[in-house]
Amino acid sequence: MIEMIAALQPLVVGVVLLWSARVKLLNRHAAATVERSVLPRLLGQRRALPAYRLLGGVELTLGALLLLPPVLRLEAVAAAVLAVGFLGYLGYARRAAPTSSCGCLSAQATPISGRSLVRAGVLVAAGGLGALASGGWLAALAGRPVSGAVVLLVELAAVAALSPELDRAWLLPLRQLRVRLTHPLRGGSGVPLLASVQQLQLSEAYRRVAPLLRSDVREHWDDGGWRFVGHAARYQGRAVTAVFAVPLVEPAPESVRVAVVDDATGHTLLSLAGQPPAAGPHLTVVPA
Amino acid sequence: MHQRMDRRRLLATAALGGVVGATGLGSLAPEAAFAAEATAVGPGLPDPNFAEGRISKISGSMLLVTGSDTVLHSIRITDGTSIWKLHPTTFDRVAVGDGLYARGVRLPDGTLAADSVWVNIVNLHGHIASVGRNLLHLDHKGQRIVAHVVPDRSAAVYNGTPAVSDMSLLRVGRHVQVLGAWHPDTNEIDIATVYAAA
Repeated sequence: MIEMIAALQPLVVGVVLLWSARVKLLNRHAAATVERSVLPRLLGQRRALPAYRLLGGVELTLGALLLLPPVLRLEAVAAAVLAVGFLGYLGYARRAAPTSSCGCLSAQATPISGRSLVRAGVLVAAGGLGALASGGWLAALAGRPVSGAVVLLVELAAVAALSPELDRAWLLPLRQLRVRLTHPLRGGSGVPLLASVQQLQLSEAYRRVAPLLRSDVREHWDDGGWRFVGHAARYQGRAVTAVFAVPLVEPAPESVRVAVVDDATGHTLLSLAGQPPAAGPHLTVVPA
Repeated sequence: MHQRMDRRRLLATAALGGVVGATGLGSLAPEAAFAAEATAVGPGLPDPNFAEGRISKISGSMLLVTGSDTVLHSIRITDGTSIWKLHPTTFDRVAVGDGLYARGVRLPDGTLAADSVWVNIVNLHGHIASVGRNLLHLDHKGQRIVAHVVPDRSAAVYNGTPAVSDMSLLRVGRHVQVLGAWHPDTNEIDIATVYAAA
């Protein structure tokens, strides 16, 4: 069994290397990908992109050698050494520039996480195991097709699961499906305060008294189909409260009313009723 | 409590009552308002009427605040100060260790008499990585942020339309902007408003 698993490792490592080489060689936005990675810092701005392409070439060659006969131990050893190099690079990048992108298996900007490190570790182990094998992967697969296919699938699934770059392809759709089935955000009801504040800020009453206002919303309460919103204000040198009455249910900024009440005496100094909408044709302005 | 109800009744009656002294507002045309607002902030200088930082001490109605540039601010909370902590709230909900933004008037002794204080307010962009029961996990520049939906408080603005309390149109993988209240020293926030496309 171990012998069969070991013989399959060159196939797994080869496929991952070819995938990785494809990203590095065929990606039209490679320059931007390199820019987000730690390579310019490590090698200098001028050498980063050629080094990235060169690495893609090495991956392509090694991946092809691993997949094609003849079977040589040296290939698996080289793959393991390359994977150790990746591990070291990722560890360095994570320490030196934690926000830099991995640039490994996808052009998408992906911060280096513990998963990327574990993935590199898995590749090291796979390369090491592959060096122990004596036969080729084709013969091993032909000998035990079912268990061989299972081992391959499990390993490739593990590599995919450890790749944050591939989350968009499988993890997010799964989570979207779960949300669609369980509706975890259902149940919001009522008129949020912001809806009333948006309405009052569109009102004629607010435009008229806005220069008096000193504070943000201090208090609010609902009563009889109205929501009352109080701001601290100053009027003719006196500390006053500007209280707006906003229709609670129907959005109607034109019927927002305001009163300015003296804090010391409780007298209403100023009170504005909502302006009726102007007659004749008018533009309806919807907030963008 | 009783006093507050009386006050609210008074204010509500004033707001819904007849028109009083509207002509006294003659000078409130926008031109007059902007002309009156003479800002004394020189270019490149900090706004003297603004302060931010973490509260290191509360004594009476004074907040001692350490700014993120390590400048110390004394902030006085007055009867007219609005205090926001996820929603408009009262001074007794403010605690040592909270972060704040304050705007007000700088007094001659250097204290800031606050008109408005926003406690623990954050404004951030991110992608929804996953959704739980009344919970959003946000991916913010590679960092994970746990954003709690607070029933009856949190609002959603979809495509710039008026705010609603229905959060169910938020989608995993989409970009959102969140205004909220930070839980100090954690990666968790309570959502005040989430702006999203729907």
